[in-house]
Amino acid sequence: MRFRIAALLGIITLCISPLSIDRQEAYGQSTQVDSARAALVQAFVSVQEADLEGASPAQISQLADNLNLALSYEENATRLGSNFYANQSLKLSNSASLEAQSVANAARAQTVFDQGSAYSLSVVAGFGSALLVLEFHRLNDIARKIRVRRIRLE
Amino acid sequence: MVPRRVIVFILLSASFSVVYSSIAYYTLSKPPAQEFMAWGVFSPGGSLSNYFSGSEANVTVGKSLSWHFAVTNRMGSIQYVQIVYRLGNSTSASPNATVSGDAVPQLGNSSIFIPNAQTALMNFTWSIASRISRGGLIFLNMAINGKQVITSVGAVGGQRFRFFFELWIFDVASNSFQYGYKVQNSRVGVPLQVWFNSL
Repeated sequence: MRFRIAALLGIITLCISPLSIDRQEAYGQSTQVDSARAALVQAFVSVQEADLEGASPAQISQLADNLNLALSYEENATRLGSNFYANQSLKLSNSASLEAQSVANAARAQTVFDQGSAYSLSVVAGFGSALLVLEFHRLNDIARKIRVRRIRLE
Repeated sequence: MVPRRVIVFILLSASFSVVYSSIAYYTLSKPPAQEFMAWGVFSPGGSLSNYFSGSEANVTVGKSLSWHFAVTNRMGSIQYVQIVYRLGNSTSASPNATVSGDAVPQLGNSSIFIPNAQTALMNFTWSIASRISRGGLIFLNMAINGKQVITSVGAVGGQRFRFFFELWIFDVASNSFQYGYKVQNSRVGVPLQVWFNSL
């Protein structure tokens, strides 16, 4: 009797296990696709930030190409239920995100440098202009002296 | 007592510096620009007309039509754009500048990332695989960009179907696509529609 019950339970377990494995696989695929989607959005946010920080159009264009490739992988992963495409999309999105962050940092540094240079130059030019205005009469004197020296030499 | 000459020098320096800094600020600032998205649905000939290669907007079963969308981004930064397509009939509520055509079921969508000041092209190839007659209406079994779709909106005699095309933009704050593009504190929807009859 006990043997029969055990056998019955064994058969039921065997019948259920493929269903449970299928469900786990489907869950795994869905999780992978969700991760790929989240990574793609994160990469887009990073690229947009780099763009707003002043990255060059060529850099943004190249990052956009990578995002579009990651998007096509993600669409394939959703359509085919493929973990391979989901992983490819995830990898590409993560690398685009890292690259965008480095581009954003460089753009930010360049902006700070440009602004610092421009305003420093403005202050220096301000000093120079003030000096020129105040000492203009001396320049006239120097010019007159040079002219006199030339006349004497002739 | 500070000599008068030094005071004049400081005042002059400050004045010149302010003028030059203003010039620097003007040069470094981005010029103001109106942000917008522009788009259109183009026929195989690349025009905004003659979608059916004939004077009538009739589409026979099995005839494949290759249109494309051209979307221009002038929002000042890269955008994540989605085009949503729906099929309605003559009585369906149309999307407008503020409301999307949510009442009409979606047939599908296509997404793309578009850098600022660039125009992206997206294919829209479709055909009618078969016509299904039910309750006095004709429903369509369509193929759009290689995907099979059975429409849930029918039309009397298969006449006066309408494609609705909507532009949705990804909004980072809400982490979702939103209808239309953002202008200051509001959104502007720019829907398109193309009429056709199925034969």
